Amino acid sequence: MNKFFIKKLPIIFFIFVPIIFLWHPNWLGFLGVQPYWPLFWLLPFSMINGSINGLIFGLFIGLILDSLTLDNNFTQIPGLMLCGIFFGRIELHRDFLVGHFRYGLICSFGSFLCGILYFLQILFKNFSYSNFLLFIPSLQNILAEVFLTGFFAPLICTHLLRMFKFTSRKLK
Amino acid sequence: MFDIRRISTSRWWHKKKSWTLLGIFLFLVFVRISKGSIYKDFYYFISKPFWPGQFQKEVILKSIEQESLINSNLLKKDNIRLREILSLQESSNNDYISAAVISRKTGSWWRQIILNKGLKDGVEIGSAVIGPGGLLGRVKNTSLFTSSVTLLTSPESKLGVWLDRIQINGLLVGIGDDNPSLILYSEDADIKIGDFVSSSPASTLVPPNIPIGIVQSVDEPFKAKKTAKISLIAKPHVIDWVQILKVKI
Repeated sequence: MNKFFIKKLPIIFFIFVPIIFLWHPNWLGFLGVQPYWPLFWLLPFSMINGSINGLIFGLFIGLILDSLTLDNNFTQIPGLMLCGIFFGRIELHRDFLVGHFRYGLICSFGSFLCGILYFLQILFKNFSYSNFLLFIPSLQNILAEVFLTGFFAPLICTHLLRMFKFTSRKLK
Repeated sequence: MFDIRRISTSRWWHKKKSWTLLGIFLFLVFVRISKGSIYKDFYYFISKPFWPGQFQKEVILKSIEQESLINSNLLKKDNIRLREILSLQESSNNDYISAAVISRKTGSWWRQIILNKGLKDGVEIGSAVIGPGGLLGRVKNTSLFTSSVTLLTSPESKLGVWLDRIQINGLLVGIGDDNPSLILYSEDADIKIGDFVSSSPASTLVPPNIPIGIVQSVDEPFKAKKTAKISLIAKPHVIDWVQILKVKI
């Protein structure tokens, strides 16, 4: 039983990402915006398992999150897949010390990428109505999300990375 | 001589992992198509101990006070109009379901709430959801135990509204922040800060005359139309109990 949990630890955390996404704890928010939770899981997972796994699980997590949000016209999948590939490549440069603040920076960039891709979809969808300019003020969502994701990433990613590394070492 | 066929073991379909991943992928596609019903129902059970209590009185009482004031004004006017036009559209029905908010996403792009009543309670897709203060949004999706509501602030929300003072219809568009935008396709609409916005009698999506909000600021970025920011009366980020209007228009 214990071995099963150790083996499946990343998957157990994977299942909890959408739960936290739904839970949306307001006391952790800033301007009503939450950190972009899936990146906290995707970064350590992709760093350990590489770009291809990052891409696949970026797709998986995107599918789940899209099913939980009601926006039929917009998707989070492209952003998460790109992040999965990008985070997986970080593994190649694992020689030098990956400091806490680097996780923050990487997650902030990932959050910015996902936010911009989502925002572009909204703009594109509303382009024909010629009211796309109305959406410009909502850029603050991206900025708040980038800030929060970067703020929490060092804390959460370091712990998750340590746990996932421990798991993969145990399995070997 | 004999051509010995080499059995390849490196093909992807020979790997168990590939089939596992394909299985997971197909399952997730099912989850996506079913709009995450499994996840939402799972969340329903694990969040049950944390459902909202009977608090947040102050905010709710203030909103109710505002709502009843506006409602009574609207009813007076409606009464006069009813006397004039006998064939006025039905404006109210009391057939509603009370529900608690079990998940709330009121920031960022995804503006939705999940309620603890679903298909088994008779919630239908498209039903209007009101809270203390007025209209919150519409039910977009239901699972067995839960229903998901698109808030008026969501970029997906577009709704016909009515400006009572100047007697004109407009379009309320959610833009992904707390204040949706009102678009009036009329150059000479005399819209002012403080004007009251309610659901349109002409709307086919929600019942007429449900309070929505108050004009907060007016911009004129385009010549052919006017836009305004609306401050919603019902605050989705604090409301814990809502009512789902059961019967559609």
